[in-house]
Amino acid sequence: MITHRRTALALMLPATIMVLVFLAVPLLLLLRYSLNRFVPGQFMVEAFTLDNYAKCLTDPYYFAVLKTTLLMAIGVTVTCLVTGFPPALYLTRATPRFKAILILAVILPLFVGNAVRAAGWMVAFGQKGVFNYLLELIFPLSSPLTIMYTPGAVFVGIIAVNLPFVVLTLQSVLEGIDRSSEEAALSLGATPFEAWRLVTLPLAIPGVLAAAVLCFILTMNAYATPVLLGGPRFQMMAPVVANEVLNQNNWPLGASLSFMLMLVTLLLTAIANLVVVRRYSHKGCRESGKH
Amino acid sequence: MVHKWTRRQFNTALAASVSLASVGLPRARAATGPVVVGTWGGDYQNLLQKYVADPLLAPKDVDVIYDTANDTVRKTKLMAEKRLPRGSMDIVALTASGSYEMWKNGTLEEIDANAIPNMKYVLPKLKTRYSVPHIYTGRVILYNPARIKVKPDSYAALWNPELAGHIGVIDIQYQTTIESAAMINGGGLNNYEPGKAKLLELKKMGVKVYPTNEAMAQALKTEECWMCIMWKARGVMWQNAGIPIEIANPKEGIVLYVSEMAMPKNAKNKDAAYAYLNAVLEPQPQREFAKNMGYNPTTSNAGLAADMAARIGFDRAIEERFMVQDQEYLAQNDPQLQEWWNKVFKA
Repeated sequence: MITHRRTALALMLPATIMVLVFLAVPLLLLLRYSLNRFVPGQFMVEAFTLDNYAKCLTDPYYFAVLKTTLLMAIGVTVTCLVTGFPPALYLTRATPRFKAILILAVILPLFVGNAVRAAGWMVAFGQKGVFNYLLELIFPLSSPLTIMYTPGAVFVGIIAVNLPFVVLTLQSVLEGIDRSSEEAALSLGATPFEAWRLVTLPLAIPGVLAAAVLCFILTMNAYATPVLLGGPRFQMMAPVVANEVLNQNNWPLGASLSFMLMLVTLLLTAIANLVVVRRYSHKGCRESGKH
Repeated sequence: MVHKWTRRQFNTALAASVSLASVGLPRARAATGPVVVGTWGGDYQNLLQKYVADPLLAPKDVDVIYDTANDTVRKTKLMAEKRLPRGSMDIVALTASGSYEMWKNGTLEEIDANAIPNMKYVLPKLKTRYSVPHIYTGRVILYNPARIKVKPDSYAALWNPELAGHIGVIDIQYQTTIESAAMINGGGLNNYEPGKAKLLELKKMGVKVYPTNEAMAQALKTEECWMCIMWKARGVMWQNAGIPIEIANPKEGIVLYVSEMAMPKNAKNKDAAYAYLNAVLEPQPQREFAKNMGYNPTTSNAGLAADMAARIGFDRAIEERFMVQDQEYLAQNDPQLQEWWNKVFKA
C-alpha cells in the first residue's frame, strides 16, 4: 500500500513541479506586481497598496468592460451549446467510418490559429468583403453593411473558435450514454423531444457543464478575435489587460485587472457547477422517486 | 654588432613601450563579436540586416543578433534589467519619446560622440546626449483628391462638417491625434488638454477610429475614409502602393517623428555597439531607408537623389520650423492621455 502511494506520488511529482514553476510562481509574481504603484515616467514603483484593485472596482470603464466580457461569454456559451448539441448527438450516432470523417471536419478548423481565422473573417466581413458581395448580389440596391468592428463580428468570430471544442466535449460524453435508456423512454410513450429532455440531456449534463465551462473560460479570456474583429471601440478584458501592460507599461493595473478577470471567471464557473449539479441531482432523485 | 639584452633590460623596455603607446593616443576599439540589437521586426529589421549588418559589420566580424519586439517591450526589458551588471541588449531602437523616458530612468549610456565618426553629419536639431537619431519623418495630412477638391492646409480641415463621416483617426496614434487637435485649439506641444474638447467635436461628427495604420491604409484605398493625419513616410509608401491620396502640410507646423538607437548602460559589447551606431549613419543605409520606407536621412552626407529628397522631405522654409515633441511633457502625461482616449473618446 505504502509502495503504491509512493509510486503515485513519484508519478505526480513532475507535473506538480511543472505547475508550480510555470503557473504558480508567475501568478505569485503577478500578485506582487498588482500591489505596486504606477508612476508615469518611472513605471512600476515598489509598494504595498490596494489602489489598483480599488480602481478596477470603482472605475465605471473597467466595470463596463467586464460587463461586456461577461455578456459576450454568456451569449457565446449558450449559442455554442444550443448549436453544438445536435451535431454532437449526430456524430455519436453516425457509422464509424462517417464519424471519423465528421470528427476530422470538426477538428480541422483547430489546425488554424485564432488570429489567422480572425484575419479570414476580416476579409469576409469588410465593406467590400465576401459577405457584402453576396448581399449585393441578392439586394442590388442595398448599401454595404458595416460588420467589421462591431460586437456582432466578435460574437461570430468567437463562436467559430469555440464551437469545435464544445462539439467534441459533448460528443465524448454522449458516446458514453447507453442509447437503450432513450429507447426505453420512447417505447413507454415519450415523444423524441421528451426522451431527449428527460433522458439524454440529464445524462449528458456532466458533458454540457464541461463544454460550457470550457467555452465560457475561452471567451472570458479571448484576445485575438476581439482585437481584430471588434476594433478599437469594442473592449473586452483580455485586450484591456494587454493594453495596460504592453502599451501603457502599467504592470500594476494590468496585474490587478488580470486577477479580477481570473476571480470572476473562477467564481462564476464554481457557481454554475454548484447550481447545475444540485439542480440535476435533485431532479434525478425526484424523477427516480416518481417511478 | 649585436646588442645582447638582459632580462631586466627587456622587461623595462617592454613596459616603457606599452606605457608610451597608451599615452596620448585615442582608445583603439576592438569592435568585434556579437551585438544584440533590440528592434522592431518587419521591413525595418530586414533593411538593417541587408544594408547595415551584412555589408558594414559582417566584414568587421561583428555578428548582429536581433531581439525583435515592439518598443514597449524593450522599455520594460531595460527597466527590468536596470540593476543587472550585464543586460540582454547592446543596441535598443526606440522612438524619441521612448529613449528620453529610458534616459530619464537611468538605463541608457551617454553617447560618446568621438566614438561615432559619422556623428558629425547628424542634423543638429535631432541630436541628443543619449541616442543616435536613425531616421525621421514629419506629420502631415493625407487626403483623397478625388473627394476633396481644395487641398487642406490645416488640421482644422478634418473638422469640416461637409466631410463628416469620412474622417478617420488611428487608435495607436492617439498621442499625435490629441496633439494635432490641441495645435488648432489653443494648445501646443506642451499642453495637449485643449485637444480633448476639439476631438470630442470630431467624435460628435462621426469620426471613424481605425485600429492600426494598416487598417487606415485599407480605408483610404476603399475610399471609406477621405482624410487623416499621418506620417509623411507612410503617405509616400501608400502612394507607391497605389492608394489614392495626396499629401498636405499643415500650417500649424511639421512635428517630427524620430526613430532613434541608444545603448543600454549595461550593454555587453559597447565597442561593437558603437560600431553599429556608426554604421547606421553611413550614407548607403540612410539612402536605402529613404528609398524603401520613405524616411528622411538624419545625416547631411546621405547624398539622397534630388527627386527622392523632394518627395519624402520638406522645403527649406518648413525644415526651419520643424517642431520637436516635448518629451518631458509626454513622459508625465502619456498615461492620462491614453486613458482619456480609451475611456472618453473611444467610449
